[in-house]
Amino acid sequence: MLRYDSTSSSAGSSSGSLSSSSSSSKPPQQDIDGLLAGAGYKVRSSELRQVAQRLERLETAMGNSPADFSQLASDAILYNPSDLACWVDSLLTEFAEPPPTCSSDFIVDPVNNQTVVNSAWTAAEPHTPQVHQNITYDEQQSLDNQLTVVTAMEEDSGIRLVHMLMTCAECVQSGDLSLATSLIDDMQGLLTHVNTVCGIGKVAGHFIDALSRRIFQGMGGGSVNGGSAFENEILYHHFYEACPYLKFAHFTANQAILEAFDGHDCVHVVDFNLMHGLQWPALIQALALRPGGPPLLRLTGIGPPSPDGRDSLREIGLRLAELARSVNVRFAFRGVAASRLEDVKPWMLQVNPKEAVAVNSIMQLHRLLGCEQTRNSPIDTVLSWIRGLNPKIMTVVEQEANHNQPGFLDRFTEALYYYSTMFDSLEACRIQPEKALAEIYIQREIGNVVSCEGSARVERHEPLAKWRRRLSGAGFRALRLGSNAFKQASMLLTLFSAEGYSVEENEGCLSLGWHSSPLIAASAWQAVPAWDNHMSSS
Amino acid sequence: MVQNHRREDHETGGENKEKRPKFFINDHVNILIEILERLDGRSLCVAASVCRLWCTIASNDSLWENLCFRHVSPPPSSVRSVVLALGGYKRLYTGCVRPVRSRLGRVRRASWARDEVQLSLSLFCVDYYERLGGSNSNGRLVEKSSPSSLMFLCKPVNV
Repeated sequence: MLRYDSTSSSAGSSSGSLSSSSSSSKPPQQDIDGLLAGAGYKVRSSELRQVAQRLERLETAMGNSPADFSQLASDAILYNPSDLACWVDSLLTEFAEPPPTCSSDFIVDPVNNQTVVNSAWTAAEPHTPQVHQNITYDEQQSLDNQLTVVTAMEEDSGIRLVHMLMTCAECVQSGDLSLATSLIDDMQGLLTHVNTVCGIGKVAGHFIDALSRRIFQGMGGGSVNGGSAFENEILYHHFYEACPYLKFAHFTANQAILEAFDGHDCVHVVDFNLMHGLQWPALIQALALRPGGPPLLRLTGIGPPSPDGRDSLREIGLRLAELARSVNVRFAFRGVAASRLEDVKPWMLQVNPKEAVAVNSIMQLHRLLGCEQTRNSPIDTVLSWIRGLNPKIMTVVEQEANHNQPGFLDRFTEALYYYSTMFDSLEACRIQPEKALAEIYIQREIGNVVSCEGSARVERHEPLAKWRRRLSGAGFRALRLGSNAFKQASMLLTLFSAEGYSVEENEGCLSLGWHSSPLIAASAWQAVPAWDNHMSSS
Repeated sequence: MVQNHRREDHETGGENKEKRPKFFINDHVNILIEILERLDGRSLCVAASVCRLWCTIASNDSLWENLCFRHVSPPPSSVRSVVLALGGYKRLYTGCVRPVRSRLGRVRRASWARDEVQLSLSLFCVDYYERLGGSNSNGRLVEKSSPSSLMFLCKPVNV
């Protein structure tokens, strides 16, 4: 390993002393963190936390003083990044402003209230004890300034968990189930050291469960998706309350449908998954208030059949009818009970040729994707009969994730990243029991993505780009969601958390993300008139 | 109009009261209404606790209608019937408009005022629908005694 030597004037002595201290104490090889060593970095496990904090400070310093940064970039001094601790320290001293006289003071940076260690380091003093003192003082400051301090143990364990999860998934893909099993045991042991209430520990716990289900119960899925329709509706409702994804989906789709129905007196909405019908009150109200008066609204709700003689679809229809009656909107409801969307035939919807039709699919189309790319796969069948209805608009909201890849490891990696982000966003929710039940809802999705295969795996999410290709290929063209939809979505997300959620517009489609990682995407489509059909008037 | 009708009622009530030598606001209900019309939501709620007359006036939905549309150009008349059907302006204001305005206040843009009311109205409608569910429940649907789709507006946002 290249020893960093005192070629640089200001930073030389400090880093030299630091590296000399580390080399003089001759850390045993086992103390070097194994995981980072695999990536080429040598950091002592005991120093992980300190190095992490220093990296954070370096990042802040770089952001605060771009002038210094460019100077640094043009400077020809070579630092050895594999000795991460020294490298960070030496860079930090480059950023520190050398004050004229003070030797061991700590300057509090007024911008972000962090202590910037000044070039007291350059003074020829025994640095080692002072450096560690600095760090302790800095820790206190950090705690006071509400920076999250993750203990070295926890951070270490969190990183290890992720690595072990990936390794386990690789074993599962290659069929090495015995190693996978022992990894599961190790991970479950490691979970006890990690905070499982939030953060990586919680998500990791769910993924470990899903992996073990896959290994031990085979890929039929067990009881992952076996929840009753009633349970699913409850979980869905709490997911609706706890985070803005479904509200975003509903409000955006409603805005698009409202604009598409402009000028029509007979309108018909086909909802691919009625659930509790939470999307439709807002549309009914908006239609009631539209200039020119409300149209005749027909709603066809598709949902799973109720097991015990209860007609849940009809109950929802009655509730919606009562609301429509209160606001003087002529309303008719029809329920279509089908356990799978591909079982629905267009004649069941009883579409009148004179009415304007809107097809609404909130996270349903991906369930039609099978693993085999056959000619008449369910998605093609359904898309072709939708096209046959000639809808004024088809609103499609789908998870913005690539969870339908054939390779298990790729899928697993994507899912880990996606659901970690989603759980992060759930932290902004403060209401219970909505939050806990929303987590169970997400947990079931994770279980399906990870531990199921074949027809049991229904959560086959695909990103917007793929849906664009698929829908264009099926004879649809994209409609732009207008600025009203964007404005409404921004306002809605601000209500939930101004700091975390973001709406982005992407070629006429809106996507909602958490800290600019997109999680859910909404788009609107219209059937392209076929060349060999009669050109009907609407 | 509802407000005038109410005013007449209270004037007759006021005339029956003993005439005092000095000015007593409750004798001049029309002035009282003019004053209460200009209050903000919280003050209006406080005013409702003063006495029965004030309580009656403060519960008058048209005062709350003023509050909802205070910073917005007057909406079309069809809005009123819809809002009354969904639960009234007081409920709309306290449940939706006020929390929406205060949350968005931090990042508000000037052009959002009307959209805020529209968004509030949509949320209000979902809330009404959920309240319907409670009354229609036959024991299998989730009983929601308090509207939960607006719960996210009630809790403080931790930003």
